Amino acid sequence: MNTLKLSVAVLLLAGLGACAVEGGGYDGDVDVGVGVGYVGDYYEPCCGGYGGWGRGYRVGPPRGYGGGGRGPGHSAPSIPSHSRSGGGGHGGGGHGGGGGHH
Amino acid sequence: MTRNFYLALCIVAAAVPTARAAGPRTAPAPIQLPPLVQPASGETHPGKVIWADLVTPNLKQAEQFYGALFGWTFEPIDGDTNFAIALNAGQPVAGIVQRAMKAGQQRQPAWLTFIAVRDVAAAQRSALANGGKVLSAPKDYAQRGRQAVFADPDGAVFAVLASSSGDPPDVLAEPGEWIWSSLLVKNTDHETGFYRALFGYDVFDLPPEDAADNSHHVILASDDYARIGIHSLPADSMHRHPHWLNFIRVDDAAAVAVKAIALGGKVLVEPREDRHGGQLAVIADPSGAPIGVMEWAGTEEAEGTAGDQPDLPGAQKGAP
Repeated sequence: MNTLKLSVAVLLLAGLGACAVEGGGYDGDVDVGVGVGYVGDYYEPCCGGYGGWGRGYRVGPPRGYGGGGRGPGHSAPSIPSHSRSGGGGHGGGGHGGGGGHH
Repeated sequence: MTRNFYLALCIVAAAVPTARAAGPRTAPAPIQLPPLVQPASGETHPGKVIWADLVTPNLKQAEQFYGALFGWTFEPIDGDTNFAIALNAGQPVAGIVQRAMKAGQQRQPAWLTFIAVRDVAAAQRSALANGGKVLSAPKDYAQRGRQAVFADPDGAVFAVLASSSGDPPDVLAEPGEWIWSSLLVKNTDHETGFYRALFGYDVFDLPPEDAADNSHHVILASDDYARIGIHSLPADSMHRHPHWLNFIRVDDAAAVAVKAIALGGKVLVEPREDRHGGQLAVIADPSGAPIGVMEWAGTEEAEGTAGDQPDLPGAQKGAP
């Protein structure tokens, strides 16, 4: 019986040792997630409610010029507007989205 | 007899991990990520958002949700059964990574934003010099390139990628592709400085479009294209962790929001008109990962009146 207990103890100790060398974490450095090696795996700190976006809260790009040189008034450019098939023109349509250039 | 059996079992069980510990640590087979662009583009667009990975506890569930919502299809990755590449009309558009979530952690699944750089090491130096942190050191993937994960000074997490096949060309996103990325933070000025130093962006302050909006909005551009927006978190969301929010182009944001609910997701921000005149919405997939959807008409004639607005007084003339 004592031999059996000893074996179980050896098993537990060996298991702990294996865990120690196998490691884990986010490439072994910081606690940002649950990664096991791939450089892009992480879970984001949370939580908290989403939203609260008031009436004037805008997060999208402006529709202005883009990619064809500075737009009128040196305003904020837009996203690319050329289609992959070659259609479309410069800018996201319309004129500048406003805003001052730093 | 029984006692001897258990004794033998214990010895064998103990020996296996011990042997693993004693031997040289062998790294898992590297993930075979596909090239970002096929055929290679030869283009580089530092500062452009060129990829996103979803980290989720349930790969199958994510495939079902995004497949039904955007029409994406999925291919497994060699070397990792917990990783799939999402394809939009046959073109790689995103990665989906399955990882277990530790119980009790205050964390949630999220999309990780990848921004193009020419030199990952230089990006790392800039990030560190400007108040960022390196969360995952630069690492090479054979066909993909070199990438690393950083946290900006506000704590928002993002990745940089020096693609070995070049960056995608500057074209209008097709429906089902990424069209825009927004960063919601607490300190827009500090964050703008950080990203400007890292990617060499041109910076454009946007004036408020509504007197009731006290938020600060900034557009960061490169190659004369708007690349990202930095926005102060709404006043009643200041307790939320600063984060990136990526948008997929869709034809009908309201219809997608309804469909998301039917597929087990949630609507976090109801469809609403944005500055470009189209609708956008923010939804959460069944695992809780937020993602934006945005309409974008391809021609100015097809869009609303927002595109016909004159330049606003805040615009400045002259070279930067």
